[in-house]
Amino acid sequence: MRTRTLAADGHNTVITYDNQTMTEQAGSPLRHVIEAPFTRRTWSELGHALISFPVAASAFVCLVPMLHNGIFWAVSAPVVRWFGAAARSLSRTLLGEDIPAPPPFRPPLRLKVATPDAAAAVRLFEAVQAAGGKARVWETKPGVTTRLLPPARVAELAATAGVTVPSPAPQGEFAEWMGARVLDPVAWRARAYFALKLPLALVSLAVIAAGWLGGVFCLTFPVWWTLALSTVFGGSLASSFTFLPLGATLLLAAPWAMHGLTETDRWLMRSLLGPGSPATRIRVLEESRARAVDDSAARLRGIERDLHDGTQAQLVALAMKLGLAMEKLDTAAPVDLPRIAQLVGDAHRGALEAIADLRTLARGIHPPVLDNGLADALATLANRSALPVELITDIPERPSAAIETIAYFSAAELLANVAKHSGARRATLEAVHVPGLLRVRVTDDGRGGAHPVPHGGLHGLAERVRTVDGRIDIDSPVGGPTTVTVELPSHA
Amino acid sequence: MRIVIAEDAAVIRAGLTEILTDRGHEIVAAVGDAAALLAAVAAHAPDVAIIDVRMPPDHTDEGLRAAIAIRRTHPGVGILVFSQYVETRYAADLLRMHSGGVGYLLKDRVANVAEFADAIARVAAGGTALDPEVVTGLLTATRHAAALDALTPREHDVLALMAEGRSNSAIADRFAVSERAVEKHISNIFSKLGLPPSDSDHRRVLAVLAFLDER
Repeated sequence: MRTRTLAADGHNTVITYDNQTMTEQAGSPLRHVIEAPFTRRTWSELGHALISFPVAASAFVCLVPMLHNGIFWAVSAPVVRWFGAAARSLSRTLLGEDIPAPPPFRPPLRLKVATPDAAAAVRLFEAVQAAGGKARVWETKPGVTTRLLPPARVAELAATAGVTVPSPAPQGEFAEWMGARVLDPVAWRARAYFALKLPLALVSLAVIAAGWLGGVFCLTFPVWWTLALSTVFGGSLASSFTFLPLGATLLLAAPWAMHGLTETDRWLMRSLLGPGSPATRIRVLEESRARAVDDSAARLRGIERDLHDGTQAQLVALAMKLGLAMEKLDTAAPVDLPRIAQLVGDAHRGALEAIADLRTLARGIHPPVLDNGLADALATLANRSALPVELITDIPERPSAAIETIAYFSAAELLANVAKHSGARRATLEAVHVPGLLRVRVTDDGRGGAHPVPHGGLHGLAERVRTVDGRIDIDSPVGGPTTVTVELPSHA
Repeated sequence: MRIVIAEDAAVIRAGLTEILTDRGHEIVAAVGDAAALLAAVAAHAPDVAIIDVRMPPDHTDEGLRAAIAIRRTHPGVGILVFSQYVETRYAADLLRMHSGGVGYLLKDRVANVAEFADAIARVAAGGTALDPEVVTGLLTATRHAAALDALTPREHDVLALMAEGRSNSAIADRFAVSERAVEKHISNIFSKLGLPPSDSDHRRVLAVLAFLDER
C-alpha cells in the first residue's frame, strides 16, 4: 500500500459564454452576410477545421479493429483518451469552448472476500465504503466483493471488521485491468466521437476547398484566363467575368457552412468528450451534497454537545454559586463574609473558564485568524504546533471562504496527527494556490503507516474534503515518510 | 434529607452538592450516569433523587427512563428531573405515572436557590414541582386548545399554577387575592374543562394533566 486516492470523482463544471456569437448578432443582416468571411470567428473555425483534421485522422487508427481485438482495445484506450484531451484543448484554444475533462481512468481492483457470517460481511462492507471503496455484499453466501481499494488495504479493513482474509489476491488481476480498460466508457465515447469526427472533418476540408479556394479562383478567373487559361477554356475575356458572381457566392456561403459544421463538432465534443451524461454528474453532485449535509449536521450536533456539556453547564454552575451567595447576603443572620467571598471567587473562576471554553469553541467553528487570509492562519497554526513546522505558502489570490476554512481545518487535523501519531521530528506544511485549485500538503519524517479508519480523523477529513468535490491523497508507506495532499477547488 | 444526584456535568454536580449540603441535606451519592443512579438508589434508598434527563452514553433521555424505572422499583423515592430544554413529552411521560413526588425543572431554575430548595421539599413530601415553562409547554402542546381558549386569562394563570403543583393559598398569595377567589376560579376551570372537582393537590395536577394529555 503506497498511495490511495479517496476521491477522484470531482471535476469542475465550466460554463462558457459564447461572446463571439453574441456580438455577431448585432448589425444589419446585409452587413452581417458581407462581413461573415472576415470575422475572427470564421478564421478560428477555419483554423480549427484544418488543425483538428490530422488529429481526427490519427485518432482514427484507434478505431480500426485489428487482430487480438481485446488487447488492442485495452492498449488504445489511454491513446484515444489522449486524443480526446487534444481535441478538447484545440476546442478551448481555437473555439473558446471549454469542455470539462471526463473522470480519469480508475482500475477496479476487484477482490472477493468470504466472511464467516453475514454480520461480518456487513461490517466489511461498511468499512470499505467508509474508506472510499465500493463494495457489494454477496446474496447467496456471506461475503463481499470490493472494488477500487488495493488488496493490502482490504486485508486491513477486513482485520478491523473481524475477518481474516487468507489471501487477498485479486481475482485475475491482469484480466481485470484489461477488462476495465476495454470497457472504459470514456475511451469508447472518444472513439465514437472520432468515428463521427473524421467524416465531418473531410466535409469541412471539402467546404474549405470549394468555398475558399474555389471562391477565390472564380473571383480572380479573368486574371487566370488572361495569363494562361484562354487556350484551355476558350471564349472571350468578357465571358470569363461571368464566374465572378459564382466566386462571390462561394466565398460568402463558405463561412455559414463552416459555422454549421463547427456547431455540429462542438455538439459532438460536448456530448462525447465531456464528463458524461448529466445524469452521471448529477449523481456525483447528489452524493457530495448528501455528504455536505451529513457533515454539517454532524458538526452542528458536535457544537450543540460542546455548548450543552461545556459552556452551558459552566454557566449553570456559576449561577448556582451566585444564587447561593445572594441568599447568604440576604439573611437576617450575621453575614458569613469568608464563605461569600469563597463563593464569589469560585463563580469568578467559573466565568473565566467559561470564557476560555467559549473562545476555543468559537475558534473551532471559524478561526478568527482566517479573516486575514489563509497564509496568516496557517502561519499561526504552524507556530502553535507541538513540533517544528516549515511553512511554504503561495496563495496569490484568496480562495472562497468555505475552501479556506476546509483548508485550514485540514492543515490543523494533519498537523495534529503528525504530532500525535507519527513520531516525526519535523513537518512541512505547504499551501499553494494555482488557478482553480488549492493544494495543502503536509509532509513529515515520522514512521508512516497512516491510513483512515472509520470515524477517525483522516476519514472525517476525507469526508469533509469530498463535500466540495476535493480529493485527499495519502502516501504513507510503513517506515515513513508520510505525505498527505488535500486538493480543493478554489471556489465552492 | 438524603439525596442522590445523577448529573453527567461535573461542575453542575459539584454545584448541586454545594447548594444542598449548605441547606443541611445529605448527599448520599453523586453519580454521572443512569446505571450508577439505579445502583445508588438501590443501595441508599434516598428521600429524593435529582436526575439530569440527558446523560451518557447516548445523551437523549437516559435520566428520564431511569426515573421511570426508579418510580416502579422504589415508589417512595421522590423524583426531581431537570434538563436544559423544555421537553413536554418527558414531563408528560413522568407525570403519567399517576403518583405524587415528582418534579420537572429547567436547569436555570436551580440557580434560584430558594425556589429549588422549595421544589425539592415539595417533591420529597409527595407533591409536584413543575417548571412554569414546562407547564406553558404542556398547555400549548395540548390538543384541547379550543377548550382552553374558553378560560379567562386569570383562569389560565391559575390553571398553570395548579399544574406546577401550587396549593390554593400559594396561588392566592401569588395573585394577591383571597383563597375563596382562587377556589371560585378553580371550580370555573373545572366546570369549563368538564373535570370533577377535587381537593388533593396532586390529584388536581393529575386531573389537569390527564385533561391536557388526553390522547
